[in-house]
Amino acid sequence: MAAVRFTDVSKRFGAVTAVRDLSLAIDDGEFVVLVGPSGSGKTTALRMLAGLESISAGEIAIGERVVNRVAPRERDIAMVFQDYALYPQMTVFDNLAFGLRRRKLPKERIGERVREAARLLDIGALLERKPGQLSGGQAQRVALGRALVRHPQVFLMDEPLSNLDAKLRTQTRGEIKRLQHEVRTTTVYVTHDQVEAMTMGDRIAVMNDGVLEQVGTPEELYERPTNRFVAGFIGSPAMSFFTAAAAAADDGGVRLRGEAIDLRLPFGRELPAGDVTVGVRPEGARLWRDGGGGLIGPLRGTVAYVEALGRETFVGVDVGDARLAVYEEGRTTLQPGDAVEFGLLADGLRFFSVESGEAIARGAARV
Amino acid sequence: MTSRRDLSVTYAILGAFSLFALLPIVGIVFTAVQDQGALAAFGTFHGVHLGNFADAWRDGNFGTYLRSSAIVAISVVAAAVLLSILAGYAFGLMRFRGAEVLFYVFLLGLMIPTEAIIVPLYYDFRDLGLTDTYWALILPQAGTSVAFGTFWMRAYFRSVPRSLVEAARIDGASSWFTLWRVLLPLARPAVLTMTVLLFMWTWNEFLLALVMVSDEGLRTAPLGLSFFQGRNTSNLTLLAAGAVIVAMPVVVVYVFLQRHFIRGMLSGAVKG
Amino acid sequence: MIGGSGLVAPPGEPRRIGYLYLAPGLLVFGAFVLVPLGHAFWLSLFEWDGVTAGTWIGLDNYGDVVSDPALRRAFWHALVLIGFYALLPVAIGLLLAGLLARARVRGLALFRTVLFLPQVIAMVVVAVMWRMIYDPSNGALNELLRAVGLGSLAQSWLGDFDLALSSLGLVGTWVYYGLAMVLLTAGVQKIPPSLYDAARVDGAGMVREFFAVTLPALRGEIAVALTLTTIYALRNFDLVYITTKGGPGEATSVPAFQVYSRAFESGQVGSAAAVGLCLTALIFAITFAINRTAERRPA
Repeated sequence: MAAVRFTDVSKRFGAVTAVRDLSLAIDDGEFVVLVGPSGSGKTTALRMLAGLESISAGEIAIGERVVNRVAPRERDIAMVFQDYALYPQMTVFDNLAFGLRRRKLPKERIGERVREAARLLDIGALLERKPGQLSGGQAQRVALGRALVRHPQVFLMDEPLSNLDAKLRTQTRGEIKRLQHEVRTTTVYVTHDQVEAMTMGDRIAVMNDGVLEQVGTPEELYERPTNRFVAGFIGSPAMSFFTAAAAAADDGGVRLRGEAIDLRLPFGRELPAGDVTVGVRPEGARLWRDGGGGLIGPLRGTVAYVEALGRETFVGVDVGDARLAVYEEGRTTLQPGDAVEFGLLADGLRFFSVESGEAIARGAARV
Repeated sequence: MTSRRDLSVTYAILGAFSLFALLPIVGIVFTAVQDQGALAAFGTFHGVHLGNFADAWRDGNFGTYLRSSAIVAISVVAAAVLLSILAGYAFGLMRFRGAEVLFYVFLLGLMIPTEAIIVPLYYDFRDLGLTDTYWALILPQAGTSVAFGTFWMRAYFRSVPRSLVEAARIDGASSWFTLWRVLLPLARPAVLTMTVLLFMWTWNEFLLALVMVSDEGLRTAPLGLSFFQGRNTSNLTLLAAGAVIVAMPVVVVYVFLQRHFIRGMLSGAVKG
Repeated sequence: MIGGSGLVAPPGEPRRIGYLYLAPGLLVFGAFVLVPLGHAFWLSLFEWDGVTAGTWIGLDNYGDVVSDPALRRAFWHALVLIGFYALLPVAIGLLLAGLLARARVRGLALFRTVLFLPQVIAMVVVAVMWRMIYDPSNGALNELLRAVGLGSLAQSWLGDFDLALSSLGLVGTWVYYGLAMVLLTAGVQKIPPSLYDAARVDGAGMVREFFAVTLPALRGEIAVALTLTTIYALRNFDLVYITTKGGPGEATSVPAFQVYSRAFESGQVGSAAAVGLCLTALIFAITFAINRTAERRPA
């Protein structure tokens, strides 16, 4: 068990900078998820931590030790790969025992550890099989087992669930989380799936284009995104955005004017006059009924799509050149092409600078 | 959606060309099993008379020639396979300065025909007193075989999933251990293909033996056949028997391992 | 070494040890292929009989390749053989590939095994075989012609000045058409049938389909087939040595045979070396040209 610290870590491949000035502190025993779209640098950061990529600048420390120049086998880490990377010609038992044998552990200890991991992961019946005879889910568990037996200071996981079907993925998510809770090993987990990140991470680090956009608990990221990218990335369905011009209104509030948009907000005096990007969480937009009922609006637009999910429905509405997702409980009779009116909930709104994408905090001074 | 007519035409053409490919071979086998006295012409069949093979083996000395070929082929193939695996591993999975340039050198070496280097090879070996030895046959062929083998094994190692190598590295395996215990068990088909191709090329090599060897005891099978022909223009059955003996080993290996031969040649295998 | 271009190796990744793995193979390859190649170049700058001291003549041997009619003829013959060894087999292969394009043939594996067989046999054996077949008095070919009443066409196939080269060429065709067929039919099986359906909908007949769909898709395979067979055509030695030894006269002289006869029979070692190197250059050039053409047009 050890803490992990990235300090101003960068990685360059020729002219391309894959990771830029990454600084991240992970506590001992914490489960941190690195999440972001492809090319965000999350996998590169993980591989640098593993020692599979060299570090162009900065320092990585595991525990008290700076490991920049330390070979992977000396770092006391274990890694679970996306394609599991099981040794195809060896039995599951030998796969699990491989790393321990390389480290010259005595035979009895190896046997103990393998059986312990097999028990934890329920793969005891598979020990004599070869990887080719395993299903995807079983192979994935063997890969986890191979990491477990090593009793390392840090677990590294590179999108281990991507190759599983959706149902198995959800199930295994829970198992991994439970396992980590039991062994309490520091875990760094990479995924591109923000739902996975939100359900598994103690803390989440959102990366984009090599840069760490924000790190925080799932709640922090959801409620207080620090920029437009994080706001649009986290949350499902994603946040909708539109651009409007803000101007102070006579009644003490703010008037937002955009294409087909004319809204009055009872708050927001701190918004600078001029164009601003407004983000709307889907559950923060509701169909207009009986005079609004406290909603801000109305906004009028045309239905673009209807996503009926049984218990709830999300209606995509085109307003001017923006498309906003509107939440409706249960089902709706709306069809694409229908005209519709909807309003916004005050606490479903977030504001971002049009130029920088930075969040404009409510009550903050003018940017 | 093929018409019956199209399909029969195709089968007919395939059949005709296959037959044409087979005929001369069948012809020489028939000639080889003919009784010397009853010989009419090439390829006629009058019953099986296997004595020709025994005669060729003894009087024609083909036993000696086969042994010589076997010694050369096995040595060349064993050495080349080992060295190619090592070099292919380095080119395929390791990054080091000058790797690209060095590999291009191997690639070009693939296209250098024996005809280009036979002359200096002869004179160099002569000066070293090594003509008329197995070394003169083994070493040059090992050189050209390593060029092909390295190219082949590099292609194989590059196709191995990187994550497997990385997992082994994290688990603490050295590069040597990873090569022999993790990667090679998987590489069996690729190594087998390389082995049969190198065996075929080495066994069938003629020019090198012709130039390097004059001692009859060292003659390889193709060279032996060429001399035999020179002596036996009239005794067709014996000549045919000798020819069949020379071609046999490779054909037998081919029949059992044809998948590997074909796969190898289809990927453009060419050796200088 | 922080701050490199990414060529800096991660810790623990084998780097310099690569040289160690490479060394034995490189040594053998270098000593017995590269060094002789250089030595061949050196030898080619001299006039030498292999016994006494040689005389420096610079690039004169190369000049001979162009000016000496014997060498010009040899190289010309090599080009002719390319037609027999490479172009003809590939054409045959394309014919079959075109037919096979829409057919699902069963038992293809068996045909493949048989078609491939000629290549596996030592060229010396092939030469002995065909020498028997071409024998003017009781060779199979002439016997066959006589048997069907075409006895007037019976020739001395390998002894006739005009026919000898073609006769040898046909042997090459026999050896290599199987390779071309297998290669091209394998490639054809990989063409998605939807391309043919689209062409048919557009009104293409069988010929149009061949040129519009089959041929472009086989570009890679054609390149491989041509490369392999061209190299074999240019390196042709065994066949000539066993059957005609360059004769009758110079009718079947080829560069590889010239290398041998000049170096080991007529004491012109320098010239032999030069011819060998020219042959190599020719191989390089043609291989390069074939593959360049294959790549150039976009898929």
